[in-house]
Amino acid sequence: MSNYFNTLPLREKLNQLGVCDFMDSAEFLDGVNVLKGKKLVIVGCGAQGLNQGLNLRDSGLNVSYALRKEAIEGKRDSWKNATDNGFTVGTYEELIPSADLVINLTPDKQHTAVVNAVMPLMKQGATLLYSHGFNIVEEGMQIRKDITVIMVAPKCPGSEVRAEYVRGFGVPTLIAVHPENDPEGKGLLQAKAYCVGTGGHRAGVLKSSFVAEVKSDLMGEQTILCGLLQTGSILSFDKMIEKGIDAGYASKLVQYGVEVITEALKQGGITAMMDRLSNVAKIKAFEVSEELKDIMRPLFQKHQDDIMSGEFSRIMMEDWANGDKNLLAWRAETGETAFEKTPAGDVKIGEQEYFDNYTLMVAFVRAGVELAFETMVQAGIKPESAYYESLHETPLIANTIARKKLFEMNRVISDTAEYGCYLFDQACKPLLADFMKKVDTDLVGKNFNEGKDGAVDNRALIEVNEAIRGHQVEQIGAVLRKAMTAMKAIKTA
Amino acid sequence: MSEPVVHITNLNLWYRQKAVLQDLNWTINPSENWLVYGASGSGKTTLAKAIAGLVRANGSITLNFKPEAAQPPVVHYVANWYQFKDLEGQSNFYYQQRYNKQAVEVTATVRAELESYGKKHGLNFGIAERIMSDLGFAALIDSTLIQLSSGEHKKLQLVKALWLNPQLLILDQPYNGLDTRSRENLNTLLDELAEQGMQLILIANDLEIPACIDRLAEIREGKLVEISASDRMTDFFTEETVPPVPAFLREHPAAAASELVVKMIGINVSYGEKQVLRNVDWEVRSGEKWLLQGHNGSGKSTLLSLICGDHPQAYSNNFYLFGNKRGSGESIWEIKARIGLISPELHWYFDPSATVWQSIASGFYDSSGLFCEPGSTKHAQADELVSYFGLEEYKNVLMTELPLGKQRLALLARTIIKNPELLILDEPCQGLDLHQTRYFNMLVDELCKNGTTLIYVGHFDALVPSCIEKRILLENGAVKSIETMTEAVETADNFENFEILTKP
Ligand SMILES: NC(=O)c1ccc[n+]([C@@H]2O[C@H](COP(=O)([O-])OP(=O)(O)OC[C@H]3O[C@@H](n4cnc5c(N)ncnc54)[C@H](OP(=O)(O)O)[C@@H]3O)[C@@H](O)[C@H]2O)c1
Repeated sequence: MSNYFNTLPLREKLNQLGVCDFMDSAEFLDGVNVLKGKKLVIVGCGAQGLNQGLNLRDSGLNVSYALRKEAIEGKRDSWKNATDNGFTVGTYEELIPSADLVINLTPDKQHTAVVNAVMPLMKQGATLLYSHGFNIVEEGMQIRKDITVIMVAPKCPGSEVRAEYVRGFGVPTLIAVHPENDPEGKGLLQAKAYCVGTGGHRAGVLKSSFVAEVKSDLMGEQTILCGLLQTGSILSFDKMIEKGIDAGYASKLVQYGVEVITEALKQGGITAMMDRLSNVAKIKAFEVSEELKDIMRPLFQKHQDDIMSGEFSRIMMEDWANGDKNLLAWRAETGETAFEKTPAGDVKIGEQEYFDNYTLMVAFVRAGVELAFETMVQAGIKPESAYYESLHETPLIANTIARKKLFEMNRVISDTAEYGCYLFDQACKPLLADFMKKVDTDLVGKNFNEGKDGAVDNRALIEVNEAIRGHQVEQIGAVLRKAMTAMKAIKTA
Repeated sequence: MSEPVVHITNLNLWYRQKAVLQDLNWTINPSENWLVYGASGSGKTTLAKAIAGLVRANGSITLNFKPEAAQPPVVHYVANWYQFKDLEGQSNFYYQQRYNKQAVEVTATVRAELESYGKKHGLNFGIAERIMSDLGFAALIDSTLIQLSSGEHKKLQLVKALWLNPQLLILDQPYNGLDTRSRENLNTLLDELAEQGMQLILIANDLEIPACIDRLAEIREGKLVEISASDRMTDFFTEETVPPVPAFLREHPAAAASELVVKMIGINVSYGEKQVLRNVDWEVRSGEKWLLQGHNGSGKSTLLSLICGDHPQAYSNNFYLFGNKRGSGESIWEIKARIGLISPELHWYFDPSATVWQSIASGFYDSSGLFCEPGSTKHAQADELVSYFGLEEYKNVLMTELPLGKQRLALLARTIIKNPELLILDEPCQGLDLHQTRYFNMLVDELCKNGTTLIYVGHFDALVPSCIEKRILLENGAVKSIETMTEAVETADNFENFEILTKP
């Protein structure tokens, strides 16, 4: 097997990277009809598997679970998840041959093994569905030509997929059809119906391609979403300790600050986030984030280049083959950072205080979101896809940090994201060393406005506002957010 | 004469440009126990919180504790509404979550919660165990918090408060969600503690109150007015009339497709070892009006969650809804479209970021919060209900900013807005005052004249709509009896306070 993307001629590469169509709700009027009465078999019953399955069944579809023998015999959690909820559970041999739609919701690292095991059992003309395209694009998995291959990828953790569905809503979702495997031309209709079954059609659906989904997903998770949030959190905490800020306070500010700050991002983009600062602080945060963008641009570009060329997947798969040597070492290192080991203090931090005393994180978030977005768009990814994989997901990841710091974030995200996150973090920290030497407690730990009279130059402020508001991520964001206005407000501690 | 325990002079408090408390004065002397009641929004809760030091008001409040007393010198307030948190300190739940086994381990167990509470206040666990068994709560000690029903959460709050045994205890609507027996046991416990020297302020609109209560007062126009017990009874039985129901709700609901709305055959639901429904058979015919009763934990809410499409074990059971076998290809949204539901849990977990108007209109879509523009007809209907329920001034206010009673009214409007075939009203009147309760029940009678099927849950004071014809009683998850209301009244022992029902 070789990297699928690299086998394509440039024209086709650009073509597939450019698939991006924000779908009108009228496209979903047929509901789940295309899949009614069909047999849906989900392989794997973890976070996505269980919750997608519960939603699909509640939408009137016939769902059962095929698990590997060890899981059934050992009555593992995946087996319990499915049986406790009254689903039929069986082995591959029992369930796959009669399945019309086989849904692969096992961890990405296992996809090759799983698909090799189930494919020979699949009936002629069946469909194989993924929630992430890594196996097809990066590993170049070849699927039998009679099988249709589609993707429905909810842009949220599995628990949210369920919670939003039962509220009567859904989570934003990407759908795609693999152009090499659509022999009957039914792929898109099935993907749309599946998306309705999970509730995704109520929150905005982007028609994408396997290639665009993978290349943008990898880029987002490595840089702004996980990598930069990790680097920024650790550097901020260490700076506060160096400058004598109370450790409990510093730990709480960092743990919850990124969630509070990105809540504004979720509701109104970078503009809303920056508007939470006073005028003086906003101008400062703008200048700092411009500087950060200049410093980090080459690193963002390197990550994007390595993702596009397949170099990233190659070295990661090397690590897989090597028993996850690097991954495990980096994971242990993250667990040992001072931030991770210092419990949040029992101090009250007001909502506004998170902005005023953590202006540095506001600057990190602006720099990271804009850089990730710009770099993806320059690489040929469409702005809508780039938005989902940068700005949209940042608050979701920030929420996991608020829950249990970086350890929790790295546990919840996929192995691929975790690997990429550490890779970025390892390179980014030294890159920012000189910059961090200049940072003082006015930017992190104390109120930036303290001792300032708040006066600003009108023209300077207008220019800053225009630069923030005029950015492409803000314009595209305004349109996409309208489709998902009801995303539940994340609560803060 | 010894010093008063609570002395309040000229208390004033404003909320949203409206005076809630106005020059309120109140003196509570040693050994007095008070009942305070009033319409929803009258300021009962605000006053209680002011005494407990939880809100700030203008004026003076002095508390005098007895240094020599056995009880700790504190005032403890038991709120009518509280939010529990998961192990990570968040309270981001959805109401179907407790039925989903994988999602219940995110919260602490009752035991862990009580142990940490006891440790914090230096209390003896043996005492808590006694209170738990008196309140019928002991069996739940290893449940996780999210698995508890609203009545069970209320008991947990009460266990903590009685265990603490403060010098002054303020209970705000403690009976909400409690079954008859638990209410009686609570009153007995309160009498005992009062006997030992604890003083009580009870905020409730209920009739059965502990014997130790010796003073009664109503909050009217921001002031505390002392009332005699007989005046309260007269007030309670004042005739009520309801204005005509909006025309769009007077129509016959969309033709019932089947004579049998619900048909359950040997329903069983269990969580691991614990069986919550056992072999339940039940048929509800189109147009019938049912009362569903049973003590806390008898399985009522699980039974209803099966009907409403909220319980995953519906798929492993044999039952029919609206003539179709459950799990035969219908979606839960098709089922929900035919049902108007309210329950304490629905209220508890409702989207806090919605306004009153959005919450009401969301009833058209069975969603928690409004996610689409309803169009002009529905818009007008929502407006009509807003004014029918007297909520105009709150129309664009966030639900969470309203007093509980008003929130409940908005959710009741949401429940009926689509004029559903089947109304499921699970303790619909929790948090309402007596007038609002009677008013709402009469409204239910009006609505049900047009062939609506009704399932009504109420432990309480027998304050149920008069259209009810039949009763199903659950005990420990099994059907104890199914009978007509006349039979239920004749064999009265299980029927809760039927005397009051038959009064004028
Ligand atoms: N997590 C997210 O936020 C998210 C969002 C969008 C898309 N996705 C995608 O969804 C897919 C599933 O991710 P997830 O987070 O749901 O994974 P997960 O929670 O780790 O669940 C994986 C499931 O697969 C089973 N499994 C593991 N190894 C297996 C093997 N070799 N053969 C067969 N079954 C195996 C596991 O059960 P046993 O070990 O008991 O057999 C488990 O039930 C991935 O493609 C991921 O990229 C995830």
